[in-house]
Amino acid sequence: MAKFFPLGQVMGFIFSLVLTGIAMLVYFTDMSFTTGMIVLLVTAFIQAGLQFIVFMHAGETEDKWSIYSNIFYGLGLVIMTVLGTLLILLWDM
Amino acid sequence: MGKVNNNVPLEYSTEENNLKIFGFWVFLGAEIMLFGTLFASYFTLSGRTGNGPTGAEIFEITPVLLETFILLASSFTIGLAIHAMRLGSKKATMSFMIITLLLGAAFLSVEIYEFMHYAHIGAGITVSAFTSILLTTLGTHGLHVTFGLLWGTFLVIQIAKRGLTSVTAGKTFIFSLYWHFLDVVWIFIFSFVYLKGMM
Repeated sequence: MAKFFPLGQVMGFIFSLVLTGIAMLVYFTDMSFTTGMIVLLVTAFIQAGLQFIVFMHAGETEDKWSIYSNIFYGLGLVIMTVLGTLLILLWDM
Repeated sequence: MGKVNNNVPLEYSTEENNLKIFGFWVFLGAEIMLFGTLFASYFTLSGRTGNGPTGAEIFEITPVLLETFILLASSFTIGLAIHAMRLGSKKATMSFMIITLLLGAAFLSVEIYEFMHYAHIGAGITVSAFTSILLTTLGTHGLHVTFGLLWGTFLVIQIAKRGLTSVTAGKTFIFSLYWHFLDVVWIFIFSFVYLKGMM
C-alpha cells in the first residue's frame, strides 16, 4: 500500500493544506486589508507553484524550459491585464 | 505512433505523446489568460452591486471551505493515480481516478447548491454587475470541472477496456494536468473572490 503514497506528494498535499489554513486566518482573525491581501497573494502563488512542480511534474522532461516560459508568458500577460485594468478602471490613475 | 522509448514513463514513450503533452501545456497557458481576464473583470465590477447584495452579505464560509478541501484532496488523488500508473498498476490507477471523479462530483454538488442558494436569496445573475461577474467566473470554473468529470469518466472506461498503453497513459497524464490546473484556478477563486470578499 505504502508504495502508492510517495512521500513527495504526501508532503506536497500536507503543505497545501497548511497554506490553505494560513489563508483562512484572513477570515478567522482580525487583519487589516493590506496585511490580508499580502497573506492571500503569498499563499496563493506558493500553492500554484506547488501544484505545477510537485503534482504536474512541470520540470521533469527536456521540454521543461519551454513549459516554464509558456507558463511565465501566460502569467506575465495576466499580471499586465489585471494590474492595467485595476490602474485605469479602479484606482483611477 | 513512431518509436517507443522504454526508458521513460509510458506517457512519454512516444514522440506523439511528448508533443501532445507539450501542446496541452500551451493550452493551459491560454487558460491562464482566460481566467486572468475573468479576474480582471471581477475586480473591476465587484463593487458595482446596485440594489443587490454585496459579496460579504452572500458568501458563506462552510460551503466554500468544503469546496476547497474537496478539490485539494481530488488534486492529490489524481497525482496518486499518475504515480500508480508509473508503477504499472492498472487497478490502483483506476481506483485513484474513480476517487478523484467522486470528489469532483462532490465539489460540483456543493457548487450547484451554492448557485441555487444565491438565486434563492436574490443574488441571481441578472441582479447586478457584481452578481453577473461573480456567477460568470464561478460558472466558467464549474463548467471546466463538469467537462473534466465527463472526460475522466470516459478515460476510466477506456483504461478498463484497453489497459495501460502509451495511448491511454498519455491521455491520463494530460487529464491529470487539466485537473491540477482546475485546482490552481480554484485556489485563486478561494483567495481573491471568497476570502477577500469576506475579509
